[in-house]
Amino acid sequence: MADDDQKKIKLPRTAKGKKPQYFADPTVDKLLSMVLTLMGELSVTRDRLDTVERLIENNGLFKVDDIEHYEIPDDVNTIRTERRGAYIARVLKTVQDELDSLQQKGDGKNTELED
Amino acid sequence: MTPLSNHDMLAGRIHDEESRQSFVNDFRVHLAGQVFPGNFPTYYNRVLPQFIKDKGREPETRHEVRRVMTHDPYYSFWSAMQRNSQEMIWDSVIDSVERQLPELIDKSRKAGDKGSLTLDPDLEIPKYHVAADIHLQPGAYHSDQIEDDVAAGAMYDLGTYIYSMGGLGTGNNALGQITHGFYKNEFPDAKPTRVLDMGCTIGGSITYWAQQMPDTECHAIDVGAPVLRYGHARAEALGAAVHFSQQNAEKTNFEDGSFDVVMSHILLHETSRTAIQNVFDESYRLLKPGGVMMHMDLPQAHGQAPLEGFLFEWEIYNNNEHFFAQLRDMDMVELCRKAGFKDENIHPKSAGSFWMEDQTPYADDGFEFPITIGIK
Repeated sequence: MADDDQKKIKLPRTAKGKKPQYFADPTVDKLLSMVLTLMGELSVTRDRLDTVERLIENNGLFKVDDIEHYEIPDDVNTIRTERRGAYIARVLKTVQDELDSLQQKGDGKNTELED
Repeated sequence: MTPLSNHDMLAGRIHDEESRQSFVNDFRVHLAGQVFPGNFPTYYNRVLPQFIKDKGREPETRHEVRRVMTHDPYYSFWSAMQRNSQEMIWDSVIDSVERQLPELIDKSRKAGDKGSLTLDPDLEIPKYHVAADIHLQPGAYHSDQIEDDVAAGAMYDLGTYIYSMGGLGTGNNALGQITHGFYKNEFPDAKPTRVLDMGCTIGGSITYWAQQMPDTECHAIDVGAPVLRYGHARAEALGAAVHFSQQNAEKTNFEDGSFDVVMSHILLHETSRTAIQNVFDESYRLLKPGGVMMHMDLPQAHGQAPLEGFLFEWEIYNNNEHFFAQLRDMDMVELCRKAGFKDENIHPKSAGSFWMEDQTPYADDGFEFPITIGIK
């Protein structure tokens, strides 16, 4: 397991090399990337929900109706906020990529971050 | 999708990671089966008639087709989605690897010693490797992000399986199965004592050979340290003895005449015009008299109709496969001749999934890889 003092690695996320432009307006390229990412994330969410529903059914843990009246505790709210942030970043990655290349950061180099 | 066979080095996938990877696989299956075929009616019903109207003749080359098809909205939309799907492959596997990297590195440090791992930190990484990240894998195959890094190998193992939509087989070793089956058929009496696989990445092919021929000394080289570390640990996890070393296939440190088989699996198209001749020269130098060179690569342009030739080249312009543009028209027999092989010992052949022992969903698709054979 990772030691407490072990550095958290952040692997490069964007490939080095010229990215083709497919549409006359580069905005359309970005929008397509976002739509496809959203397709993927919705699919992931539906899979996860399906897993949850099946586990509920298998184990008889609680009623599905309990979900409708769930009150969100603060710690859960924090977790959800972080997850939403990561989700938004994933969908908007194509915008970040352009910003990174403008700032000459997207060169695929080592980007180790301290914990 | 049918899951990749598990082994001790394979990065585990938690719920959403597995789901995201399955989505990318299924999206690519849909693109290949439902969207890509639309390029044919698009060409014949829209692009070709306009071309004939403008020029009074049909396109004569794949390059002429490219100039018109890349402006067609259907082709462009498929192409853009295909490119996105390639980027999504890597995006979907990085989470799993990043999350488990310390454990994976730890496992690779403790890998067994049936085979071996020899790295050369001073090896110069060739320009054709550094210019762009091949197949859009972020960080490429040779970059260490941390000491003793295995991330590139771990990503490659998960990612290429999705890339091939399972076509590489659940053991990720289809290409090795093809060359092994082909070799046994072509040379039924051969009993190789020492074989070399050039440009092995994570050693999927050579590890299969080592599993099939446990008495044969199996060597594998690549310029990328993280894929070699992973490949060695993977082979050990699968109980196979493979000797991995970090070397450039253009010039290795092995002795003259020291191998019965020198081969590569779709390596050549990732090199360069100068490098490919060097690889053939080096193959000749390393072979024992009577030894066999087998370089398997992607189909060349000759014999392909202009539209077919154009569509086949999508990866050159959209997936960082730049040298493949030149390899498409190169004379492989001439490369063999220049390396020293006599004409009667040069055999351009082809082999496909027919030779695979572990049949995959793609085993009967009829696709054939050219294999350039030279016997010393």
